[in-house]
Amino acid sequence: MTFLNDHQIDMLMSQLKRRLKFKNFSCLAFLLSIFLGQTLQAQDHKHEHKHSAGPTQSAPARTLSSTQAFNEKSWDQLLKNGPRPAAYLFTTTYCSTCPAAFEVLHQAVKEKGRPVPLMAVMMDASGAKALRHASHFKGMTKMYAFEGFEPEIRQSVDSAWPNVTPYVVMIDAKGNLQKVIGPPSPEMLRRWLP
Amino acid sequence: MRFIKQSWCAWMVFSVMVLGMTTALSANAQSKPMKHAKRVQLATGVALGPDGRLWVVGLNEQGQMFMQSSPVQALGQWTAPVILNTQQDEMAADGESRPKMAFGPNGWAVVTYTQPLPKPYTGFVRMLRSADGGQTFSAPFTVHQDRQEITHRFESILFDAQGNLHTLWIDKRDMPPKGAGPKYIGAAVYGNVSKDGGATFGPDYKLADHSCECCRIAMSNTPDGKVAAVWRHVFGEQTRDHAFAVLPGASAVASSSAQGQSKPPVRSTFDDWQINACPHHGPGLAANTSQTGFHMVWFGIRKQDGQDVPGVRYSRLNANGEPLLSSVKALPDARAEHADVLSHKQRVVVVWRSSEGSTSTLKAWVSDNEGQSFSVKVLGQTQGPNDHPRLVQRAEKMLVVWRDTKEIKVYDVSQ
Repeated sequence: MTFLNDHQIDMLMSQLKRRLKFKNFSCLAFLLSIFLGQTLQAQDHKHEHKHSAGPTQSAPARTLSSTQAFNEKSWDQLLKNGPRPAAYLFTTTYCSTCPAAFEVLHQAVKEKGRPVPLMAVMMDASGAKALRHASHFKGMTKMYAFEGFEPEIRQSVDSAWPNVTPYVVMIDAKGNLQKVIGPPSPEMLRRWLP
Repeated sequence: MRFIKQSWCAWMVFSVMVLGMTTALSANAQSKPMKHAKRVQLATGVALGPDGRLWVVGLNEQGQMFMQSSPVQALGQWTAPVILNTQQDEMAADGESRPKMAFGPNGWAVVTYTQPLPKPYTGFVRMLRSADGGQTFSAPFTVHQDRQEITHRFESILFDAQGNLHTLWIDKRDMPPKGAGPKYIGAAVYGNVSKDGGATFGPDYKLADHSCECCRIAMSNTPDGKVAAVWRHVFGEQTRDHAFAVLPGASAVASSSAQGQSKPPVRSTFDDWQINACPHHGPGLAANTSQTGFHMVWFGIRKQDGQDVPGVRYSRLNANGEPLLSSVKALPDARAEHADVLSHKQRVVVVWRSSEGSTSTLKAWVSDNEGQSFSVKVLGQTQGPNDHPRLVQRAEKMLVVWRDTKEIKVYDVSQ
């Protein structure tokens, strides 16, 4: 995502000043400014698509560089505007039974041959500390990280969820939800991705 | 004139450039993922010193380990925090994994914590040792002999009546390499014993195979001066109930026969919870000092009339750790989490946290007839992030310590 920084731009400008007469430079500089603006915006749109939680299905199996904040309002927003079908697996840095449950979801998606978004939601860490675990979740589209008071966020997802992980929510194409603690059963997977 | 024209031109070009760059950078800022707020780890260890002074150990906002104490006459009036030298260790201080402190004889005091290692799910149990009652501490050192980059986490510590320091932890050294040999279910509980307050340790020994992987281990002194422990255990393929054991003494551990073997532990709960998942919710244990046996609290999900019923439950155990099934009671709070228990003579106190949205309430369930009947008390309330309640006891003195982002409160539940 890095592009020309201030120092590089200054260098470029001073080189141009030396090599061109001022009138010519003015025109070039004008064109350059437009070019820089457009290019940076184009880069940003690429970035936005990568991190979008919108209805567009994003392709799995890419390197994640950050986690996205998940607070007590996020779940409602994801249910309203998030992708369908999709699955969310809530985990912690010490949940060693979670990767196996994620793999069940991943295999189900692979068998269907469709790019269904699979999200991991880390409940006790964010950023680099959470992303250390990314390699355990093959096929993960995006990683969220709890930000706020854990029980409050947990209750915003499911008021009856007793802090046991993996907690899996599968959303089908029509928006129907299936929730389960532990790996989902084959029957649940069939209902999720018929 | 030519100079003015050139300057004007340059100014215009510069403005357009700045405008273009600003627009682009602004769009960039909006599309970046939200920056995470700093996460404060609030899990705190508590201990009562031989003089009745209350000590706490935890991490501050900068992630440094601090310690402070409060005099017995003015509980809750804390000394200025002292920062402990933990070198460059990363430290776990969240939820079930908290720093701990214990006092022994001869001015011995120890602080322990789990140091997460770079590889996920791995860690070392680290300890700092004091020989002057907690005034000064050694540099941290690793407690266990096994130094593989694997799980050695969720440690618990307790001195027995003879002054031996018992340390237990969850350990995955028995897990075969991926694809080699049969699957090992869960983890194991390993431990060691130090006869000199943490200066030296006996060999690592295995207390039990097939524990659950990420719940705290509860320990309690027994009436005959030993140490007992209870932990979440995997019975069969995936029944996550609890197991009980009295820890071997220092001499038994030193004999080679004890080190690589474990006898099946006693099953102390019968929820029959069939689940391949991590409850992150360990038990509590207290000796019944008026008779024999123990008081225990735990979280589980059991089938009742075909329905899964989650809840925190209380039971008395006999001296072998077997439950007295008629004593099993569910706590009167569907939102009860991370309960713990204390007992002195007839009095039994169960304390837990109950959260509803951003509000957390600290509740106690008090019995003055050895757990035959209880009454509920509300001890306190707070908003936003807070630690689980931490219980501490020395004889009849029973305290609850509860930390939130602003302060560390103390509640006396002795009477």
